[in-house]
Amino acid sequence: MFSVLFASLFCTLPLAAQGNYEIQVYGSDTVAPGTTMLELHSNFTISGQKYQINGVYPTYHQEHESVEITQGINDWSEVGFYIFTSEQNGHGMQWVGDHIRPRVRVPTSWHWPIGVSISTEIGYQRPIYSLDTWTWEIRPILDKAIARWYFAVNPALERTWHGPDVHQKLGFAPDAKVSYDFTKEISSGVEYYADYGGLYAFDSFHDQQQQFFVAFDLNVSPNWEINFGIGVGATAATDHLIFKAILGRRFSWRKSTAID
Amino acid sequence: MARRSPSLAERHANCYAECVNRRQFARIALGTPAVLMSAQTESLGPADYTINIAPYSLELSRHSFIKTIAYNAQVPGPLIRLQEGKLATIEVVNRTASEEIVHWHGLFLPSEIDGSMEEGTRMISPGSKTRYALMPRPPGFRWYHTHSFAGHNLNKGTYTGQHGFLFVEPRDNPGRYDAEVFLALHDWKGHLLASDDGSMRAAYDVSTVNGRVLGFGEPLKVKANQRVLFHILNSSPTEVHWVALSGHEFEVTALDGNIVPSPKRVPMLRLAPAERVSAIVEMRQPDVWVLGEVRKHIQAAGMGIVLEYAGQNGNPEWQQPEKLEWDYTLFARPPAPTPVEDAVTEIPLVFKPKFTGHGAMERWTINGKSFPHTDTITLQRGQRYRLRLKNESTDDHPIHLHRHSFELSQLPGGRSGRGILKDTVLADANMETWIEFTADDPGLTLFHCHQQDHMDMGFMMLFRYA
Repeated sequence: MFSVLFASLFCTLPLAAQGNYEIQVYGSDTVAPGTTMLELHSNFTISGQKYQINGVYPTYHQEHESVEITQGINDWSEVGFYIFTSEQNGHGMQWVGDHIRPRVRVPTSWHWPIGVSISTEIGYQRPIYSLDTWTWEIRPILDKAIARWYFAVNPALERTWHGPDVHQKLGFAPDAKVSYDFTKEISSGVEYYADYGGLYAFDSFHDQQQQFFVAFDLNVSPNWEINFGIGVGATAATDHLIFKAILGRRFSWRKSTAID
Repeated sequence: MARRSPSLAERHANCYAECVNRRQFARIALGTPAVLMSAQTESLGPADYTINIAPYSLELSRHSFIKTIAYNAQVPGPLIRLQEGKLATIEVVNRTASEEIVHWHGLFLPSEIDGSMEEGTRMISPGSKTRYALMPRPPGFRWYHTHSFAGHNLNKGTYTGQHGFLFVEPRDNPGRYDAEVFLALHDWKGHLLASDDGSMRAAYDVSTVNGRVLGFGEPLKVKANQRVLFHILNSSPTEVHWVALSGHEFEVTALDGNIVPSPKRVPMLRLAPAERVSAIVEMRQPDVWVLGEVRKHIQAAGMGIVLEYAGQNGNPEWQQPEKLEWDYTLFARPPAPTPVEDAVTEIPLVFKPKFTGHGAMERWTINGKSFPHTDTITLQRGQRYRLRLKNESTDDHPIHLHRHSFELSQLPGGRSGRGILKDTVLADANMETWIEFTADDPGLTLFHCHQQDHMDMGFMMLFRYA
């Protein structure tokens, strides 16, 4: 597969909250039927919030390890499940929360000129890691590969069901990616993650989250997914320096033979 | 299906042959070995065959149409039967909006009419026509198809319905058969898809036999105890196909139209793009059967045809083979006790892909260069050459040499294919295949991978004669 599963920040929360458990801009491909994708997202906040605010742990030097298990249902849908954890001096290894994420895509047989899919994600996170404990997200995904260039946009909308941001109603948290294939195995580009606040009333720039990553994808095998990068936050509300890495492996449970 | 009486075109051709006097034929045949273009041949009257290239809406299955380009509003195009060594004229009319060209695949024709612009054959402009006079040789199952560039347009070139059967009747036909069937395997509705090797390649929604999906269209009708000669062509732009006829075996008698030294019975046939297999099937299992692609997903996409014995009805039966089987060497000449090594000049040719992005098709190189920058190799007339095809890629490639036949001298694993004459061979991925031919047909000669996407992306080169 040429494409690497690209990624997004699933949970960009306001100033007092944390995010950065899964930093990925999604591509439109879904996991093949009869196949399970196992991914480990490792993110380390090199420079972030140093103070506990409203009972929420600071992000500074937090190590986030998230396990993502995605099962392909058919050639146009999948379901993903997340286990989020955090490790930090003084707090040890902690369970943060879980999410479930069904996703459907436009089948290739429709021959659309761009890849299109849509995912929805529902989940819980503990209040010591996020005051918004129950959240829902809907994420349209558009992508296109043109020769050596790859473009992806995820204009995600978020809704808090329990927590201080309930009043915000829909939040707007778009992600995007542009990358270039330097070789068959190595691609690199820029990933953008943002949270503008309410869809109908953006936060001030100071309170928005704006992050830019320089990221690399290593396309060593169709079965493996390797992505890593370093990102900077452009606003006061964003963690200032984060390292992220994704290691994924596909496992096919289908015994296919040459005649299938 | 039964060995049929001559078609209108054949009757016309016969009449034409009788009406034109010998002197006229001799002048054409001797003046230019096999070609005489419009002005001279038109004076001889109507052509033996006329091919109209035009847009066509093909009904692949009930109420499911595809807009394509076809020959004479049918897919495959009309069966052209020519007599070995008897001059024939074919008029080609281009009623499409773009330039076209017809390649006479497997025939030994001058470069000027072989049907490849790289060799110097002129393209046929939109709205214009060209008449070819050709001396058909060698005898056997050939075919004709477009040789135009498609690139990223998967509605052009061999992605369309521009293909048809051409049979050169031998002077003496020793064949023992009761009926003859021509079948073409083709893939339709192509689109570019990311592949496991990291680049884009064509994938298809529909696969057919003679332009119809399995269960749509007339079944093949046979009688018990008939010996039916199947001529099967893979006209797919890019895909290799395996076919089996449930309840029966194929006795392979010819590959690419050339009689094999050791006819053998096999349970299935493998055909790379442009390959042909001629095989006799003895009809000894009265029932209704499926002749179809062995791989389940391709048959599910439509590649199959129903075969019905006289007096039988009911649902067609398919017996799913458990594995894919094919080996060229089965049909080779038994090894001689002391092989005689002729004076052969070796030409190593290395095939490699060149990555151009995950959102693009790979470029292809021969000895490190892509066409038109590939080296043109000079041949000495009468010399025998061995092409050492070193396939340094993860794809199998159907390699085609124009205007000549070649012998499979060595297949992967050092196995001999001696005595098998072909014009297209599938060179296995990451393997080396040797083919030999004698340079006996002067003129520019194209050599290429017959996958449309590969040849469009540089997998071609030319030979010239000194």
